[in-house]
Amino acid sequence: MSVASESFDLAALKLRSRRRRWLGRYALAAIGLGVVVFWLAVMALAPLIAPYSYRAVDLANHLLPPSWSHPLGTDELGRDVLSRVIWGARISLPTGFVVVAIGSVIGVLYGAVAAFVGGKIEEAMMRVTDLFLCFPPLILAMAIAAALGVGWTNTIIAMVVVWWPKYARVSRSLVLVQRSLEYVEAARVMGFGPSRIVLRHIMPNTLGPLTTLVTLDVGNALITFAGLGFLGLGVVPPAPEWGAMVSEGRSLILQWWVSVFPGLAIFSVVMGFNFLGDGIRDWLDPRAKRR
Amino acid sequence: MNRFGLSRRASLKLAGTTLGALLVEAKLGKLAYAKSADTLVIGMDISDTNSFDPGHQFVYSAPITMHATYETLVTMAPGQYTTLLPLLAESWELADDGGALVFHLRKDVKFTSGNEMTATDVQFSFDRLRNLKDNPAELASNIASVAVIDPHTVKIVMVDKSQPLLNLLVGPTFVISDSKVVQAHGGTSAADADKTDTANKWLDHQSAGTGPYILSQWEPNAQIVLDRNEGYWREKAPFKRIVIQHIPESATQLLTLERGDIEAAMNLTSAQLDGLKDNKDVNLIEGTSLDFVYMTLTSGKELIPELSIKEARQAIAYAIDYDGMIQGLEGGYATRPPSFIPNGLGGATAELTKEIGYRHDPDKAKSLLAKAGLEKGFSFDLYYGDASVAGTTYQLVAQKLQSDLAAVNITANLHPLDQSAARSKFRAAELPSFITFWNPDGPEAWTWASATVQRVAKRVRWTGAPLPEVTELVNKAGAAHSPEEQDRYYRQYMEALIDQANYIVLFQPIYRVATRTSIKGWKLTAAGWQVDLYDVKPA
Amino acid sequence: MLPYIAKRSVAAFFMAVAATLAVFLIAHMVPTDPILAMLGDLAAANPDTVARFRAQWGLDQSLLAQYWIFLDGLFHGDLGVSIVTRRGVLEDILQYAPATFELATAAALLVVLVGLPLGILASIYRDRWVDHLARVVSLIGVAAPTFWLAFLALALFYGGLQIAPSPGRLGIGDIAPPHVTGFYTIDALLAGDYDTFYSALAHLVMPAAVLAASTLGLITRTTRSSMLEALGQDYVRVARAKGLFEAQVVAGHALPNALIPVVTLGGLAYAELMAGAVMTESIFAWPGLGRYTYQSAVALDFPAILGVTLVVAIIYLLMNLAVDVSYALLDPRVVRR
Repeated sequence: MSVASESFDLAALKLRSRRRRWLGRYALAAIGLGVVVFWLAVMALAPLIAPYSYRAVDLANHLLPPSWSHPLGTDELGRDVLSRVIWGARISLPTGFVVVAIGSVIGVLYGAVAAFVGGKIEEAMMRVTDLFLCFPPLILAMAIAAALGVGWTNTIIAMVVVWWPKYARVSRSLVLVQRSLEYVEAARVMGFGPSRIVLRHIMPNTLGPLTTLVTLDVGNALITFAGLGFLGLGVVPPAPEWGAMVSEGRSLILQWWVSVFPGLAIFSVVMGFNFLGDGIRDWLDPRAKRR
Repeated sequence: MNRFGLSRRASLKLAGTTLGALLVEAKLGKLAYAKSADTLVIGMDISDTNSFDPGHQFVYSAPITMHATYETLVTMAPGQYTTLLPLLAESWELADDGGALVFHLRKDVKFTSGNEMTATDVQFSFDRLRNLKDNPAELASNIASVAVIDPHTVKIVMVDKSQPLLNLLVGPTFVISDSKVVQAHGGTSAADADKTDTANKWLDHQSAGTGPYILSQWEPNAQIVLDRNEGYWREKAPFKRIVIQHIPESATQLLTLERGDIEAAMNLTSAQLDGLKDNKDVNLIEGTSLDFVYMTLTSGKELIPELSIKEARQAIAYAIDYDGMIQGLEGGYATRPPSFIPNGLGGATAELTKEIGYRHDPDKAKSLLAKAGLEKGFSFDLYYGDASVAGTTYQLVAQKLQSDLAAVNITANLHPLDQSAARSKFRAAELPSFITFWNPDGPEAWTWASATVQRVAKRVRWTGAPLPEVTELVNKAGAAHSPEEQDRYYRQYMEALIDQANYIVLFQPIYRVATRTSIKGWKLTAAGWQVDLYDVKPA
Repeated sequence: MLPYIAKRSVAAFFMAVAATLAVFLIAHMVPTDPILAMLGDLAAANPDTVARFRAQWGLDQSLLAQYWIFLDGLFHGDLGVSIVTRRGVLEDILQYAPATFELATAAALLVVLVGLPLGILASIYRDRWVDHLARVVSLIGVAAPTFWLAFLALALFYGGLQIAPSPGRLGIGDIAPPHVTGFYTIDALLAGDYDTFYSALAHLVMPAAVLAASTLGLITRTTRSSMLEALGQDYVRVARAKGLFEAQVVAGHALPNALIPVVTLGGLAYAELMAGAVMTESIFAWPGLGRYTYQSAVALDFPAILGVTLVVAIIYLLMNLAVDVSYALLDPRVVRR
């Protein structure tokens, strides 16, 4: 074989294996993207695609197993589970997302600043975080319900207050590691201001673990939100919130569909966000090594 | 792949550890399971149990133990709420022109300590109960004094002879405890007992009674262990040991019952019980309770002005699909009294409900609304706590109500609260409408009736007419000389309440307990202790 | 290092007390009346009884006076009496905390033993099937609602396969070993009672596994992503170029640096577990702190709330201290300025 054709074959081989690796890397991310897009579509099209009302009580047809007329069965009050899961996307998805988004942004910035500034200020800031962390979240939620009244917004506020400290601690630990590295020193010597260093140089290197935490937390937030229902927070029945549907159906063993399907919805959202988050991070990562 | 010789080793190690763990688990699973045939295990949620001291105990789950370890002067057969049977008292009669009760005690009864049961113990128990001034003392409010006539005769003088007392004495509050032993552990029946008595620490973990079982151990939120009283004055109890295992989740109770690790499951839901119908190893025992779930509607104009109009409240009452609720949510395992006295007492029966009680009649509801000047309907706030009855949560009941009321243009806005907040707000008369539960003070109709014209009336802000007339009816019923006369007055009372429409009774559960076929004799009672464990035997 | 630890420990205690003050004030914003909620129906309607009980718990006094009573009791080792259980709060906590502690520790051990290696493997074999498998498997525990997992585990291993023991810390009717630490496993060993030790261990496996599953995903994936960061650093290339075995490179160089966020999250998760995993404890009939904490919060049982807050706060703060100290050990470049 001639040298030319050899190198041609080699290049083709390299291209194919790169594509395979690309596929391997982004396969899960593609699945994640698909799931998220699917749920966003469900959210948007809920009134059009839900076969029944989510609140029509029909005790005569309660606890029916999945069938053609009720693909996901009916719950204890005879309401169609499929419709409730579809409509529930409008409550649950934004809730999980908003709490985690706001909580993480506040927490991450707070922790990054603390770690970068260092010294006594860092100590003080972290002690404040500690105080928030060891505060019983339930009491805080109850007090906010008493002070601000009930409603979705107030519940989000209550949850964000409890959620941010975790991100502060993680972000601080990540920035701590970074700040002692040479490139930070170099950036400082070059005259970049602290905010620029933190935001443009340090933060991108900490995105890995942070993305993991954020995407995994969405499901957590959802389930916590459901538990707040009985403190007068969260959403009021008959609102089809997924977490509430799961916990209400928990004693129904034979009629598993009442809590399994909303649970699967939560599950798929968490998985989807997770894979998507991984994919985005991989794609943005400037130093992603290909081996 | 093999730059990391580590990896193969690591993965092998991981596999090996997992397999090993499963094997160990399997072996340990069998080792840890060892139950004997003369032990009865009951699975129950005992998280509310906080005491076994007769002077303090006032929760739902403790009486079953109290009834097995202590005894009362008189008792009732399961399901029977009118005939009294002798227990520690052989006979009794009225004295002082109906103002006192005299009991003649059995002479052959000994406490577990060996001390003989005498009238002094009765006096001590009742005086201590009253002077501790805790929750259960309220049930003894009609006792003026307890006197020892002779070692086996005791006289109880009532405060108001028209108020009942006798039927209340069957309850776990009125058990007779061993005065010498209790005093030896810091107990006192003196007037300042609420400040000086220290016996409750001991009594929480040991029993000082005459009953067929002895309390051996109480581990809060874990288990209650009862051992057979070998010196019991009747035939010895059939089981050597009873363990009441704390299992808070009904799903877990179901699994353990099916597996045979417990012989009785007390808190299964309707759906779970229905699922056990075809199980050959399980019996389902039914018992109509004297509990009911009811809804209040305030008369307070300040809260919801529309609800202060009687016809508006009646409209709500006629808009509710009671049968649908009972069939759909309770699986048919409930009955419904006409008003605030449960079926089985005071002449209340399901037939009477059909005659005078509310029914599902949306047209009548609409015409009532028109009469109230509210043709377009109105809205109000419906509150409820985080609890469930016979496996059905108040949340489900509330959503069903909301749906029924919407059909007649009444909008019920749901407000879930945690149980404590709900109770404290309700008792402070702050709630316009509340779904809650009534649990007997004792198998005596008067306790329901008097409550509705006293404390519950305050909670629904019912102050004006016809409160005085209804109160008069209740007093007459309490002072009645025959059951027929009593029932007559109660019927008038019920009709008045139905018209007033501040209380709407939704359903009276028929409780079901699932037991394994390896035991028999389980009979449910609503008189206050759920089941008499003395009757339960191996099959 | 030691003076720093000592200073932080003392500060932890005072901070915990500060937390109780904050909780005390905020809890009073909730309009529930714990006495009205606790009393039986008849008693609650009797204003004298209500007044008497309120006085017994000092609720008729000013906020300042009430908190002073708590502080005074605290410095005498008395945390007051719970309104709901009518027992000493310290007694309640000593009863329930060891059960939760034992469960949380067992779960944490499982997470470390399974999650760390899985995360490391996933980062080494990035984008291969091992990585995908690890990511998906570790996610199941996190994405699925905990009591689902708990119930499924119970139904499968106990109900179906019948290899797991009945729910609870010990077998039905078994007597606990003599109390030394409250950990049934340790106490049984100390008493030489091997049967009880095996029983306690067997009963611990499933609830610990379920709790571990819910945290596993986080630890595995965080380990993976921060290992990926570390493995991409120049010093790793240098180490490889120096000719070190891959295992040495991974374990000795990359891992310690990667562990910092993992340890942070691990500490947070452990402390969260300590506050009590209500659902898991409920399904497995585990008499732990979870239910007690929840119950005292919703019943507005002030003494219990303050007591639990104090204990949980101290645990959190000490845990955070341990985590912070570990940073210095893991990565000496993290020098405090």
